Amino acid sequence: MSEIAIIAQTIMPQIHICKKGKIRTYKEGQNRAINIFLIGTIVISTFSLMMLDIDWMKILSRTPNIGITFYKLSQLSFKNFDYTIISFLQTISITILATIYSVVIGIVLGALASENIVKNRFVTITMKSFFTFLRAVPTPVWVLLALVCIGLGPSAGIIGLSVHAIAFFAKAFSQSFECVPSEVIEALEVTGANKLQIFAAAILPAAASQIVAWTGLRFEINFSESAILGMVGAGGIGFAITTNIQGYNYGVAGLAILMVFIFAYLIELLFTTIKKKYI
Amino acid sequence: MKHKRSIINKKEKKVYTYFLVVVAVLFIGSTIFSKYNPFEILLEQGEFWRFLTVDFFPPTLQNSLNIFESILITIEMAIGATFISGILALFFAMFGSEYISPVPKLSKVIRAIATFLRNIPALVWAFILFSALGIGTGVGFVALVISTFAFMTRAFIEVIDDISHDAIEGLSVVGSTFWQRVFQGVIPSCMQDFLAWFLYCIEVNIRASTIVGMVGGGGVGLVLFSYLKSFKYQTAAGIILIIAATIILVDLLTGYLRKKVLL
Amino acid sequence: MNTVLDIKNITKKYSNGVQALSDVSFCINEGEFVVIIGPSGSGKSTLLRSINKLIEISSGNIYIDGEDISKKRSKSLRLLRRKIGMIFQHYNLIYRLSVIQNVMYGRLGYMSNIKGVLGRYTEEDKLKAIELLKEIDLGDYIYNRAADLSGGQKQRVGIARAIMQQPKILLCDEPIASLDPSTSKIIMDLIYNMARSRNIACIVNLHQINVALKYATRIIGLSKGKIVFDGKPDQLDNATIEKIYNTSMQNLIISGELNEA
Repeated sequence: MSEIAIIAQTIMPQIHICKKGKIRTYKEGQNRAINIFLIGTIVISTFSLMMLDIDWMKILSRTPNIGITFYKLSQLSFKNFDYTIISFLQTISITILATIYSVVIGIVLGALASENIVKNRFVTITMKSFFTFLRAVPTPVWVLLALVCIGLGPSAGIIGLSVHAIAFFAKAFSQSFECVPSEVIEALEVTGANKLQIFAAAILPAAASQIVAWTGLRFEINFSESAILGMVGAGGIGFAITTNIQGYNYGVAGLAILMVFIFAYLIELLFTTIKKKYI
Repeated sequence: MKHKRSIINKKEKKVYTYFLVVVAVLFIGSTIFSKYNPFEILLEQGEFWRFLTVDFFPPTLQNSLNIFESILITIEMAIGATFISGILALFFAMFGSEYISPVPKLSKVIRAIATFLRNIPALVWAFILFSALGIGTGVGFVALVISTFAFMTRAFIEVIDDISHDAIEGLSVVGSTFWQRVFQGVIPSCMQDFLAWFLYCIEVNIRASTIVGMVGGGGVGLVLFSYLKSFKYQTAAGIILIIAATIILVDLLTGYLRKKVLL
Repeated sequence: MNTVLDIKNITKKYSNGVQALSDVSFCINEGEFVVIIGPSGSGKSTLLRSINKLIEISSGNIYIDGEDISKKRSKSLRLLRRKIGMIFQHYNLIYRLSVIQNVMYGRLGYMSNIKGVLGRYTEEDKLKAIELLKEIDLGDYIYNRAADLSGGQKQRVGIARAIMQQPKILLCDEPIASLDPSTSKIIMDLIYNMARSRNIACIVNLHQINVALKYATRIIGLSKGKIVFDGKPDQLDNATIEKIYNTSMQNLIISGELNEA
């Protein structure tokens, strides 16, 4: 133990001295959980990176190509603009329809999965696990399945997006519904109101603001998802982007990407302003 | 008092009415434009149900070793990409937060770059990079890094701005350097939230790396895509179940870590 | 007596057009305990924050120990800031770090960059921190996280951190505005005694005139960015107070909170 540490200990016996004889400045294990987590993350990540066996040199040597590609993309071209704009509108309408249908269905299924509405725990738990499964499969996989089942076109996109979004909404909404205190529901039950009346009069209004918030969030996600649908074979702007890149029409693809960016940015701006104003 | 209330209600009602009208217009417009009729599809197309109930059942697995290997690649891609993005984002967020950035003008530039990168979906990045660099796991990896980096930078900047304005001021007045403020102030105060976002991005990237894989990034996505293309639907169904199981497991694990470590 | 702070004709105009300070000048000697009073928005906080350059002034000069801080940048600014301790209304601690770590970081200005980054404080500094923690009676809490402390305890940590800097000047920005009356007294006593025993010049922003009268060796009254009073506490009469707050005495709550003190 150093001399200073001894003096310090006589002044204040509460202090801890570490093994090297120095005064501790924090409690042993103050950050242990986080440190273990950090070390674990670093080890697993390094291991993952090594296992992936990526040829970094090759990628690095080709990086100038990225600049060239961007240059080509930035030479916006309005060739076939009517086709680009139609694909873009298709993407937007897929987003809108998928959002609207899934909100409506999500409210119904969310109600069926809420413990304070359906008193049968077997039903609610089964519903909830089913939604967990639906959400666990990435949206484009659902779109691919829909494509296989009903063929090319926006309908496959809407159905694929909806499957995921319905599961998302059902889970989110059932959480909001379950936040409505059971006394409120019981008070209405006593008056002889039936389940539908209780739901419409008490539960739905109480959860309304959260439903709007979740819908806004999902609308953003739905747009970026529907923008990429085309890349796995469904229609919309994604299809325009991929075919044009693959056909070396970089200018047309660049314009399409710019449109996606601007629309996504506008949605983001819109919702942040709404959030700031009302929440 | 009563009079005032009714005015607010009227105003609110007006907003709701406008909102509903806009939604209705959008709904009708989109339906006409995309000719989407869910009832027709559900009721009249027997194909749809036949596919779901016959072609995909029972889910089977051929070549299961191969499939598990591809799942592993997808997970490794997600973790590796999130890790690299996290480190990059940490660095850039320090300069992107107005409160602590040693060059406040830089913060606007970093925010703008992050906004740009983030609002273009990861898959679009993948396609741009595939066309520049050729397809492959490495390029898919870079695409994941770009979108994750942008997301995390923005999230980290918000964490720093939220938490540590007062704390950083307290550190500045003692005559500390920028890096001292970062390591003695920002990192201890914000680490928990940084890690929470890190876990969130792992969850997102497990899904994203599957999708990037489908279009050429390798991993389980590519395997699934090839089985679907060659009409081997039962194996495809098996792979989808495995993907779902993996994602649920990862979500459970991150949820557990969040509860245990980050409280 | 040595002049430690010399403020010459400073003005501050914010980018939104608000004139927070106009032509403010005064100097402060070693060991003075100056209280600045004035209504909200009179520029008290702006004045205090200009002294250690948390806010950049529009014109004028501020000399600390003979050096002009408004001309200092990066390294020389840091070296000068070491001489100025600051105590905040909201304590401004790093809540996830331990109490002693929060006190220690008052030394960061004296350490090399890398040692500060790693938090490698010397044993001498640690001893100094422990002596201070003993003095402010927080010995039982040294290893607690700063977040776990009460408001008064947090402010005591804030004081210890400022003293760790071995400052020439102590700036206190409404140090008791978030505290209850009895804790306020403890904190004011502590600031007063610490500053007095170490011969540190102290500038305190306060809302409570009776507290100002009790502790100050000199009071500065600020109104709309201008000094309207500068003198000994016994020179502060009702007419001056009315002038500072721009209202009549019956609209002001002057005493009450610290009557028993």
